[in-house]
Amino acid sequence: MNTFLSRLNSLFAMTMTVLAGLTFCCFLSTVHHTHHSIAKLDTPSVLVRQAPDYMIGHEINDLGHMTLNIDADLNHLFNWNVKQLFVYITAHYKTEKNAFNQVVLWDKIIRRGESARLQYSRVNPKYYFWDDGFGLRGNPNVTLALQYNVIPNSGRLLNIYAEGRHVVSMPENYIKGRA
Amino acid sequence: MKFLTDLTSRIPTHMDFEGQRRAERTFQFVLAIFGLAGLAWGYICQQFSQTVLILAAGFALSALLTLPPWPMYRRSQLRWQPVRPAAATGEAETGSKQQGRKQNKKDK
Repeated sequence: MNTFLSRLNSLFAMTMTVLAGLTFCCFLSTVHHTHHSIAKLDTPSVLVRQAPDYMIGHEINDLGHMTLNIDADLNHLFNWNVKQLFVYITAHYKTEKNAFNQVVLWDKIIRRGESARLQYSRVNPKYYFWDDGFGLRGNPNVTLALQYNVIPNSGRLLNIYAEGRHVVSMPENYIKGRA
Repeated sequence: MKFLTDLTSRIPTHMDFEGQRRAERTFQFVLAIFGLAGLAWGYICQQFSQTVLILAAGFALSALLTLPPWPMYRRSQLRWQPVRPAAATGEAETGSKQQGRKQNKKDK
């Protein structure tokens, strides 16, 4: 502590240690939160067609298309330990070929400070709903679920399902050409 | 670069031992207070950025109070023994200085 640099070193080291302690306290203050929320999902129009999947060697696979209604309020999930929410909608279903399929249809990043009130009506999905094979036509049970990653400033990275799933029954007939 | 280090090494930055102890206590106290205040204020307005900024202000205040060698950190200088006339050569002088330092530590 006799020179300027050694005092600066001690001071800076202590500042960083205090900062680490404060960050840990921030984590402790939110560790008990459950991140529960309710979402209402709906699919006003559901279509299925066959198409060559250009991304994987032009095999013909089932391609689903469903417009989405989304209604959820996620504002209460934000606190001083949440940096952003990564919200996404997945479709789960079972086919003869695969026991469990999960496809992401739509996602959104909501940063702290932005409005987390999701109100979408008849919105197109962001990503293609390809199936591995022909399991979508007439599939009676395709479940849509809203999930979100709560990304903290310090702590565990959690993946939570919102309450409220929507079951879709896929149509029996393919459509041809452009719908 | 050497010109700069030569220049900066000529500025005296020493403090005596009592001053060093007080300087360390001072910045530990200031940082602890600002850390707790930052945590409380950050929790109240639910913004962790506020906590970090308040701690940074504490760092700036501590730097101002303890990094420069203020006169208050130089009040209790070590008491050296008076210089005794050299018995034979310069070696005896350095010998007596070392004896004086050792004696001072024993006094404390």
